[in-house]
Amino acid sequence: MSLLSIAARNLLRNKFRTIFTVLGAAVAVLAFVFIQTMLTSWSAGVEFAAKDRIATRHKVSMILPLPKRYADTIREVPGVKHASYFQWFGGVDPKDKNNFFANTAVESKTVFDIYDEMVVAPEDKARWLADRQGAIVGAVLAKKMGLKVGDRVTLQGTIFPGDWQFNVSGIYTASRRSIDQSQFFFHWDYLNESVPEPQRDQVAWISARLDDPTRSAEVSAAIDRIFDEKDVQTATMSERAMNLSFMAMFSAVLSALDAVSIIILVIMVMILGNTIAMGVRERTREYGVLRAVGFQPKHVGLFILGEALTIGVLAGVVGLGISYPLVELMFGRFLEENMGGMFPYFRIAPMTMVAAVLLAVTLSVVASLIPAYRAAKLSVTDALRRVA
Amino acid sequence: MGEGQREGKKPIVELDGVGKTYFRDKEPVVVLDNISLDIEEGSYEALMGPSGSGKSTLLNLIAGLDRPSRGSARVAGQELSGMSDSALATFRSRTMGFIFQAYNLMPVLTAVENVELPLLLTKLSRGERKKRAQTALRVVGLEERMNHYPRQLSGGQEQRVAIARAIVNDPRIIVADEPTGDLDRKSADEILTLLEKLNKEFNKTILMVTHDPQAAERATVIHRLDKGNLS
Ligand SMILES: Nc1ncnc2c1ncn2[C@@H]1O[C@H](COP(=O)(O)OP(=O)(O)OP(=O)(O)O)[C@@H](O)[C@H]1O
Ligand SMILES: [Mg+2]
Repeated sequence: MSLLSIAARNLLRNKFRTIFTVLGAAVAVLAFVFIQTMLTSWSAGVEFAAKDRIATRHKVSMILPLPKRYADTIREVPGVKHASYFQWFGGVDPKDKNNFFANTAVESKTVFDIYDEMVVAPEDKARWLADRQGAIVGAVLAKKMGLKVGDRVTLQGTIFPGDWQFNVSGIYTASRRSIDQSQFFFHWDYLNESVPEPQRDQVAWISARLDDPTRSAEVSAAIDRIFDEKDVQTATMSERAMNLSFMAMFSAVLSALDAVSIIILVIMVMILGNTIAMGVRERTREYGVLRAVGFQPKHVGLFILGEALTIGVLAGVVGLGISYPLVELMFGRFLEENMGGMFPYFRIAPMTMVAAVLLAVTLSVVASLIPAYRAAKLSVTDALRRVA
Repeated sequence: MGEGQREGKKPIVELDGVGKTYFRDKEPVVVLDNISLDIEEGSYEALMGPSGSGKSTLLNLIAGLDRPSRGSARVAGQELSGMSDSALATFRSRTMGFIFQAYNLMPVLTAVENVELPLLLTKLSRGERKKRAQTALRVVGLEERMNHYPRQLSGGQEQRVAIARAIVNDPRIIVADEPTGDLDRKSADEILTLLEKLNKEFNKTILMVTHDPQAAERATVIHRLDKGNLS
């Protein structure tokens, strides 16, 4: 027998209260884990962005086109290893118009030099290159739309009107977490041949890979300088900087989520503090007995901290236990399938798990500090006089 | 015992002009006025008086649960009036055994664990603690109930467990505040017999507050308290 084991037994005295408190705090842990995972997966695009990749777009706006020939100019810039151009397509599935996914026209022979973390089987790649209407589809999107190699797909153009026919040539997966696996790629040539004359030979952006990632700022500046005297000027930045500027648009949402997480933690302290204070109040007389037989004020304080610690550990463990299936298996799969662009990789980070358990433990101790201090300071005769 | 002899014939409790004033809404309430009292080691003394006369307050001062507002209280050779909370706790754990009217056992602990509780403060090994707790339970005749929880015991049995807890650290003084107040006659007599045995066989100094004249009869000395003064 030890003081800690007595503290643990005290928790079993009011099983319902303990269970509800642990569950309440566990739900707070779940909410915390969910929000933190959302934030980390959102920033995964920045964190996992290839450091040696830069993108060039129209200086004025992302939606204005660049001439396709700029890609050839960029390929000649010293320090550039590969370059490839891209065009937004913006097609929708006529059968399910709410199913948004990125669909992009790409330069067939160079795209995999740029996005080498897209994993495609060699035979799929060969099939794609051989088929003018061929498309490469992300594994998550393919699963969602029920597509397999050889299927025919029709997309309705929004930027480029009409019904567009494609054949699924291959499925890609990702070897790094930065790539959204619900995209749809097809040959830029196919698009270019089919659009009216004024829209020909246009691209939305040009991506390049560099020999030396540390020189990305320098090379970006060099590229923009070349086009400064041309009729269309460019803005070039690293993939990381681009993702950051994209995220900056959502910074208000991110801070709001952070604030919600803090509110959740405050609620958790209140739930825990309430339970602990109730237990302490009911057991005041017992603390008086402990003090009478010679236990020190600090023993009583530690005794109460011990109870709080036990609740905190339980809440942390139970919270993580429910977070894994809910956040990672249910929400995570749903978000990756439906909002893969924003959450390409929705998994609970190890740091989040550690933080959740540590917070549950620390906050329950914090919540018990005042009741513990007051119980320790109580006069023995007052405590003994207290009727439970 | 040994220590008592070394102090010669000095009483184990010496109160000199002890008073206790509580403040209720800033109004002073004099609960103990001016108490001077000596108690010899090994005696068995009862404290009687009307409700509210300050019996429990006086007992608590002697036991080191509270400090006097004035005067000097020397118990077992130590002056209690200036001691810190923590020093008082140490004093209690070495010198005092407590018996309360409401038994005050920990409901989550078995009989033997309740008895062992004060020993958690000592350096004794787990096995030694358990052995001593069992011995104390044997003294009160409850060894076979050692694994029962308080709710599984009768009031008289609970009080005997409480007595075992009070003697497990071998204190020189046992204070009992209405130890038979909640018990029927038969159980009360058992408890009183037990206290007598502790006094006679183990030479414990016993100070007992009681309303029950039959209980007080067992003591060698009866003090009467009225409105904060001994009469
Ligand atoms: N902490 C306190 N604060 C204020 N007044 C107190 C406090 N403790 C005791 N008193 C008052 O002191 C008086 C004596 O109390 P005490 O408990 O010593 O009486 P008692 O003789 O033991 O009575 P009883 O026989 O009812 O147990 C009572 O009027 C009580 O209200
Ligand atoms: Mg009383």
